[in-house]
Amino acid sequence: MISIKGLKHYYTDADGKEVKALDGIDLDIKKGEFVAIIGANGSGKSTLARHLNALLLPTEGTCTVGGLDTVEEANMWDIRQQVGMVFQNPDNQIVAAIVEEDVAFGPENIGVPSEEIRPRVEKALAAVGMTDYAKHAPHLLSGGQKQRVAIAGLMALEPDCIVLDEPTAMLDPQGRKEIVATVKSLNKDKGITIVYITHYMTEALAADRVVVMEKGHIRFMGTPKEVFSRVDELEKLGLEAPLAAKVASELRKSGIKLPKDIITDEELAQALCQ
Amino acid sequence: MSINLTNVFYTYMTGTPFERQALNDVSVSIEKGEILAIIGHTGSGKSTLVQHLNGLLKPSSGKVTIDDIDISGRGGEAKKARQQVGMVFQYPEHQIFAETVYEDISFGPRNRGFSAEEVDKQVHEAMAFVGLDFDTFAKRSPFQLSGGQMRRVAIAGVVAMNPDYLVLDEPSAGLDPRSRNAVFKEILALHKERGIAIVLVTHSMEEAAKYANRMLVINKGKILFDGKPAEIFSQHKDELVAVGMDEPQVYKLSALLRSKGLDIAEGIADSAELVKNIKKAKGWR
Amino acid sequence: MLSEITLGQYFPGNSFVHRLDPRTKILATLIYIIAIFLADTPLAYGILIGFAALVIAVSQLPVGMVLKSLKPIWIIILITMIIHMFTAPGETVVFTWKIFKITEEGLILGTKMALRLILLLLFSSVLTFTTSPIVLTDGIEKLLRPFKAIGVPAHELAMMMTIALRFIPTLLEETDRIMKAQTARGADFSSGNLLERAKNMLPLLVPLFVSAFRRAEELAIAMESRCYRGGEGRTRMHELAYKSIDYTAFGAVIFLAVGLAVLRWGAGLCAL
Repeated sequence: MISIKGLKHYYTDADGKEVKALDGIDLDIKKGEFVAIIGANGSGKSTLARHLNALLLPTEGTCTVGGLDTVEEANMWDIRQQVGMVFQNPDNQIVAAIVEEDVAFGPENIGVPSEEIRPRVEKALAAVGMTDYAKHAPHLLSGGQKQRVAIAGLMALEPDCIVLDEPTAMLDPQGRKEIVATVKSLNKDKGITIVYITHYMTEALAADRVVVMEKGHIRFMGTPKEVFSRVDELEKLGLEAPLAAKVASELRKSGIKLPKDIITDEELAQALCQ
Repeated sequence: MSINLTNVFYTYMTGTPFERQALNDVSVSIEKGEILAIIGHTGSGKSTLVQHLNGLLKPSSGKVTIDDIDISGRGGEAKKARQQVGMVFQYPEHQIFAETVYEDISFGPRNRGFSAEEVDKQVHEAMAFVGLDFDTFAKRSPFQLSGGQMRRVAIAGVVAMNPDYLVLDEPSAGLDPRSRNAVFKEILALHKERGIAIVLVTHSMEEAAKYANRMLVINKGKILFDGKPAEIFSQHKDELVAVGMDEPQVYKLSALLRSKGLDIAEGIADSAELVKNIKKAKGWR
Repeated sequence: MLSEITLGQYFPGNSFVHRLDPRTKILATLIYIIAIFLADTPLAYGILIGFAALVIAVSQLPVGMVLKSLKPIWIIILITMIIHMFTAPGETVVFTWKIFKITEEGLILGTKMALRLILLLLFSSVLTFTTSPIVLTDGIEKLLRPFKAIGVPAHELAMMMTIALRFIPTLLEETDRIMKAQTARGADFSSGNLLERAKNMLPLLVPLFVSAFRRAEELAIAMESRCYRGGEGRTRMHELAYKSIDYTAFGAVIFLAVGLAVLRWGAGLCAL
């Protein structure tokens, strides 16, 4: 679905210094996969995300989406229709003053015939569980609801992949739960490929694969089990491992034999109390 | 030395169809020197409550005093009392306006009427507290700093007012784990060295359990619980879940291990202590 | 305070007026305004008032609420009335005090002007009360489309209005938030002379502009991500189409205007 090869992205900052935001990224994302990208602020994860729908173009290397190279300008709109993007601030991505009007914005842009837009809007709102709010004003919704509207706005474009760039950073715990549940269901029930960028390790646990970034590089990746059991390495990168993994790692350090891949409470309890 | 709320009620948009009772007979006393966490889901009234602490909102009925001075008055004494309470709002970097970091941080202390030397001293100290090197940052434009640095400038701007009480509304929102820990380290240092009261509004049970020595749980404009975080989390778990709160991860894990027969003490607030308990329970060294 | 202003708000409903095409309502309002300026006899004003009352009744809006829309500008109405009363030339003096005098002509002119303003406002507020801002924007865009040839950016104007409508509440909230934050830092927005006050506003205005620009930038990126590329080739979820009720409404308002024109110039025409 998405193939990134030798991707570098350099830019010049306000002080005239060259910044290597991405410095040689290789990553393949399969159709239907749920990939989480974690990394501290400034690790390059947002820059990477913005290459996936041609908002940014590589300085070097290639990024292809469904076989289309993002560098080709002729491919841009096809790519953006295929790969939707949700941003951090829920307020700054809703265009219209009525929820359903906002969801219709994408299909209107790509010239979907009028009579086909409404069914698309209804389907998209149903997919994120916001059908009851179709006629509401977005500014009166909660943060989690706004983000779900934003996701519905993308679903109405019938994309293959949705990229979420720290979608829960500005939400309360309730909103975070809503978004994680919504994203999981889009992935499992609708087969949407998900690229999910986050600071919250608990959210990354839902992914098939976790990619860990630092300073424009991918440091390591693997299943959540593989990644989150590397407690010390994560901490060195300014990230937090799940509590159970941390406790298991501490116990192992004092010489106690425990399986290496403990990341959940249940796994730890089982290992300790068998 | 304390902030006292006595029978405070607050109603939004009185007399309109949008009328909503945000605080319903709240009485609480916040002592100088404590670290108080206030938790509650969005819309519970916790933001409304803290805005009463320095007179940004005036109670529909009831009384707020700071160090025994009624702060509802218009006089100089009431104003002075209100300024004892520093307030760091959510995403405080959005309130930065001045051309240089120095100018922005000095805004508050100048408004308090500090002398030029006093302002200078406070700015230096505040920047040191939040870990911004004076020579590197004082003359720079705050708008060219990173998000985490801007947050520090904004917090310094409130710290420089030299308040006796410091209210922080989700100071770690949107930061990565490393910056989150750094911000809390700075707040704790401030508390320790100046002995001021910290009021921490948070959605994170972990933060409340880890940093606070007292906790208020707000629900539907009322104080549901007031006590030590460890006690509330271990004694009122079900009630917390019922009002949309949770218990900290470390409590959950402790409870699970206990239910499997391990002898783990109640009220463990961090992972290091849990590790110690597990070892002891298993008889390892 | 802000919440008390009903002017410009939308009240959902399903009346005859609500169901009209927005273009019909915009054009009908324009025709009615022309009719207002055609009227110059008490009979003509009576007809105008009757027509407005009829429209308000058909729209099923609460009368009190429609009248409330006059509230924010009643002072302007009053001033207009007083100025005309005192300044109109006339012979028949009804009242004098020192150098001020009110003539019968002045009284009539003042009343007339006030009535015109009131009618204009009432009728336009029926338009906004019965038409959602989005639909209104669509209507304006469609009406302006023929003028694209002479350089009127119909789509861009409409998109700007849509975004403004969406972001006004957000920016109001933001203003409130920043104001509170700066107040907590000891800022004073209400005392001092004009220059001092303007200077005191900087801690509010700078962050507000910074935030508005940041929002604009993020919104632009979000819109691009959703394949926005200008008005070319765009479709709409609601395509506007005139229905029979629109023709009825046009008929009624044109009949009114023509009737008033005849009332005004009819005598002259007969004399020819």
